[in-house]
Amino acid sequence: MKTFFKAIGNLAKKPITTKYPFEPTFIPDDYRGLIGFNADLCIWCRRCEMACPPGAIVFSQAMDGQQTYHYNRAVCIYCSECVRSCPKEGAIFQTAQPAPCALKAENINNGWNKLFAESLESRNIYAAEKKRLTALKAAEAKAAKPSADSSEKSS
Amino acid sequence: MATQYEIPVGAQHIALLEPLHFKFSTENEKIIDTTANVGYVHRGIELACCSKFKFRQVSFVVGRVCGLCSISHTTAYSQVAEKLLNLDIPIRAKYLRMLVIELDRIHSHLLCLSHVAENSGFEALFMKTMQYREFSMELLEAVCGNRIQYDFSIVGGVARDLKPAVANSILERLNHFKPQLNELVDIYENNWTLSLKNKGIGILTKEEAMRLNVVGPFARAAGLAVDVRDETEDLLPWKAVGYEMVTDTTGDVFARNMVRLREISVSMKIIENVINGLPESPLLIETKAFPEGEAVVRLEAPRGELMYYAKGNKTQVLERLKIKAPTFSNIPAMAETFKGNEYASAPAIIASYDPCLSCTAR
Repeated sequence: MKTFFKAIGNLAKKPITTKYPFEPTFIPDDYRGLIGFNADLCIWCRRCEMACPPGAIVFSQAMDGQQTYHYNRAVCIYCSECVRSCPKEGAIFQTAQPAPCALKAENINNGWNKLFAESLESRNIYAAEKKRLTALKAAEAKAAKPSADSSEKSS
Repeated sequence: MATQYEIPVGAQHIALLEPLHFKFSTENEKIIDTTANVGYVHRGIELACCSKFKFRQVSFVVGRVCGLCSISHTTAYSQVAEKLLNLDIPIRAKYLRMLVIELDRIHSHLLCLSHVAENSGFEALFMKTMQYREFSMELLEAVCGNRIQYDFSIVGGVARDLKPAVANSILERLNHFKPQLNELVDIYENNWTLSLKNKGIGILTKEEAMRLNVVGPFARAAGLAVDVRDETEDLLPWKAVGYEMVTDTTGDVFARNMVRLREISVSMKIIENVINGLPESPLLIETKAFPEGEAVVRLEAPRGELMYYAKGNKTQVLERLKIKAPTFSNIPAMAETFKGNEYASAPAIIASYDPCLSCTAR
């Protein structure tokens, strides 16, 4: 009977739920939100990429050796493992901002998989090119060395 | 002879929270036999942990095994990895792990209680319990930074520190919750309508519980004093923060409700003790070693004993990881307890087991 009268009394009370789109919900100050990146501080060691559990960070490399940081907020699990692994403080950091929804136009899954594969490929191409150039340089040096020796001898 | 009917419940059913299949053989509304099938949510997490992910990343993968006891899985994995690495983690990290495990236990138990009320046909109590549960979700979000996926324990310690402002708000909200918990205890204990569906329903005796190897609140409601927090002291100092065993004698749905409600007050006491006596030390211990050898860890999740086995071979990737979830141990007893009850009581009994199938099938 007590419960019954309480239930009737509750009819006059305000709802306890938050009217979410019109009112803000509870978000703590240090909410685990989007990962930020500061290219000026980064030393391009790629430790964040190696530490990231879901693979939401990848670095691509242009032919001049310049690396570019790519980040996918839909793959990220916001565990801040990248921030802990970073040797340079402030290069990669966590903000309290919740991630916005992904749109179809962004092609966030397939586009990311393609970008991820392309980034790894670009690094391989750069590494191969660098190896080839180093080998070429070594060969040139080797070719130049005997000639230098012979020139010394002749002189 | 009465006509026998076979009634399938699940794997998708409104009375079930999880993809679980029961086949009841009934005779005049009485359940005489039950078979259970639990393998509907297999995701291959164990294999992924031993092939795709490095051992430091696995603690985030196993957190995704289950949404309700995420922290139990991450903590148990972190502990087993620390055993393989021979790490002794700082004392503050241990205390913070206990704090989050107990906050998680409060929200998990309140969720289970609300579903018992809902499946017994008491929708208003479901709403009320869920309303009171919200404080624990907000506290977990304030402590860990996320409502469900805490990612709090990592190999070697914990990921975040507890801020003094958050600690104060925890104590404040717990004080605010105490009268609400008393109100819930009063309703679950004395409400006549709820007692029709809960008292004397789904009885598991102490002897049967012992024979069927039951764990968690399910066993403690039957009078079987099993709790990992009572048995192990080496990894987390439970006794130092005021752990108490909670048991009941009758072993029915009502006893399980009471055990869960009383465990919530024990958890609240533990949280208060942890915050008031939080020792000062670093949070994380770094190591460059690789896991080697074999180790087993047990931890009391909200549903009972959680066991992790891991084997390392001095590489970044583990050789084997085995997860034994509490619900897996309880399945034989689940099928047994239905016998002799009315078919109409089955939803309340299922909810009172608090089954977690995503943990069981992984």
